[in-house]
Amino acid sequence: MNPFRSEPLPRARLLLRRIPYDLAIVSAVNLACAVVVTYVMRDGGSSFWENLVFSMCIGTLAMALINGARILLWGEGVPPKLPFFALVAAGSVLAYVLGHELAMRLLGLPPREFAHGLEENAVGFISLTVLAGLMLTIFFWSRAEVAELKIAAATEKARAAAVERQAMQAQLQLLQAQIEPHMLFNTLATLQSLIGIDAPRAQHMLEQLIHYLRATLSSSRAETTTLAQEFALMDAYLGLMSVRMGARLNYALELPAELRELALPPMLLQPLVENAIKHGLEPKIDGGGIRVEARRDGDRLRLTVADTGLGLDAAGAGHAAVPGGGVGLANVRERLQALYGGAAQFTLSANPPGGVLARLDLPLSLPLPS
Amino acid sequence: MNPAAAPIRALIAEDEPVLGHALLQALQRLWPELAIGAVAENGVAAVREALAQRPDVLFLDIKMPGKTGLEVARELAEDWPDAAPFPLIVFVTAYDDYALQAFEQAAVDYVMKPVTDARLAQTVARLRARLATQGERDGELERIVQQLRTILPAPAAPQPRLTLIRAGIGNQIRLIPVADVVYFEAADKYLNVVTADGDALIRTSLKELLPQLDPDQFWQIHRGTVVNLRFVQAAQRDETGKLSLRLAGRPEQLPVSRLFAHLFRQM
Repeated sequence: MNPFRSEPLPRARLLLRRIPYDLAIVSAVNLACAVVVTYVMRDGGSSFWENLVFSMCIGTLAMALINGARILLWGEGVPPKLPFFALVAAGSVLAYVLGHELAMRLLGLPPREFAHGLEENAVGFISLTVLAGLMLTIFFWSRAEVAELKIAAATEKARAAAVERQAMQAQLQLLQAQIEPHMLFNTLATLQSLIGIDAPRAQHMLEQLIHYLRATLSSSRAETTTLAQEFALMDAYLGLMSVRMGARLNYALELPAELRELALPPMLLQPLVENAIKHGLEPKIDGGGIRVEARRDGDRLRLTVADTGLGLDAAGAGHAAVPGGGVGLANVRERLQALYGGAAQFTLSANPPGGVLARLDLPLSLPLPS
Repeated sequence: MNPAAAPIRALIAEDEPVLGHALLQALQRLWPELAIGAVAENGVAAVREALAQRPDVLFLDIKMPGKTGLEVARELAEDWPDAAPFPLIVFVTAYDDYALQAFEQAAVDYVMKPVTDARLAQTVARLRARLATQGERDGELERIVQQLRTILPAPAAPQPRLTLIRAGIGNQIRLIPVADVVYFEAADKYLNVVTADGDALIRTSLKELLPQLDPDQFWQIHRGTVVNLRFVQAAQRDETGKLSLRLAGRPEQLPVSRLFAHLFRQM
């Protein structure tokens, strides 16, 4: 099976581009044959230049005949080996006879005079032609195989890259779709109840919910966001949570004005804040506070999320008993690694007396993800 | 007893203030004669208030800080005084997931947040019907206990057996063979390891420890107690019907909760 039937255009172009190159190689072999005939076989009756004309005629005809017959018989497919070599042998002999005749006419030689030489050395010349034909065939054959392998490798590489990109995209979407049904339904329940109790507050809460949903669900399309946008998103999320948790939650966001327009990949800060709520503050009877801060330190950007929740070891599966564990946090680490290599750090530590301190330390000159 | 004489009392346990307030208002609308106390805002307060107020009806949010609704129901089933009728429990949740099946079985009813008046009216009708039938009320505690027995001992996947307990006492580590432990007793965030020679505290929860113990040797007899059967001499009932275990090598007796009393029925 020829795997390239499905892509005729690149292959046809490839063949066209190959013709001058192939002609040059055939000519070089023709030249070599003329040298062999003149100086090795010592065909006394003709000069090197005459022999060159002969070998050019025979060689080029052989290439044209063999290639023509191949395309006629097998099209652009890979021909079966044995019949093809038989074709090469037969084509070479035919090319010898025709090419010889053509060269004689081109050189204006009397047919009889040369017929003498033909009779003497015909077997040698024909053998040489067949040999040259076979050698060239083997050369072109293996070259075609290498080319096909290269195309196959390139196709495979492109496919792997596409698969990887898709996997990345799927993972990103999964990450970004991490709006928990519990969170959403509880928020909607609060909202619906609030409409009857305090309509203006319900209105404000709905605005925050829309902002949160829009930013969270659409960040799959935006590869970078700004610190200002990210902090606005956190403000909306914490606003929602504070309506739900009431006096149990207080929060503060601190973003210096000069850092507002700084680019930041989405979904780095948000999981940390959501983790702090979900595993630190929501399950804590008395609740507590959360403080999100951005700070510039030389050429580094430092983001901190500090909470006064249950702390690292009390939170169990979520913050994970193992410091730095947990699915959400593993995702943050993976993303940092993918985006910055080793140039970014993420640490999770205790925030005495209780609670967790999450720290992101990023290069200030952010590379734009390609 | 004439139901009209003593008002029906309810307790709401809901950690989200807006939702608690909304449920309170809706109940007041649909069941004006119901006496509703302050809303308990977490699982611990729910247990405390329920035991203190002994309500007839208990609306329990499932996801609360401190304890889940099911944990609250379980603690109440264990600690509820024999003399008082057990409250009818209605679970309330915002999100329907597989965990609800357990709640569904243990409750009289369960409703989704936000609770609509139409749905809550059905719940109220169901509760009123139950409360009117004295016989039903008497069986409620037994029914809950039966349900909890089938739901709760969801054993975690067995883990490698623990043979030695390393307990820090002062600045040294004491090594206690598990076979020598008379019982384990939960104490806040710690676990008290009790042997014939004395006690030691370890920083492990009973939930984490249980899968590492031989289930044929160590039995849970209360939400906070696991006893080594080797040291159990007798199970006895006191005059109020409460079951407790007499132990070898320890002077104290261990109470067996309602949920585990069936383990010590005579053959």
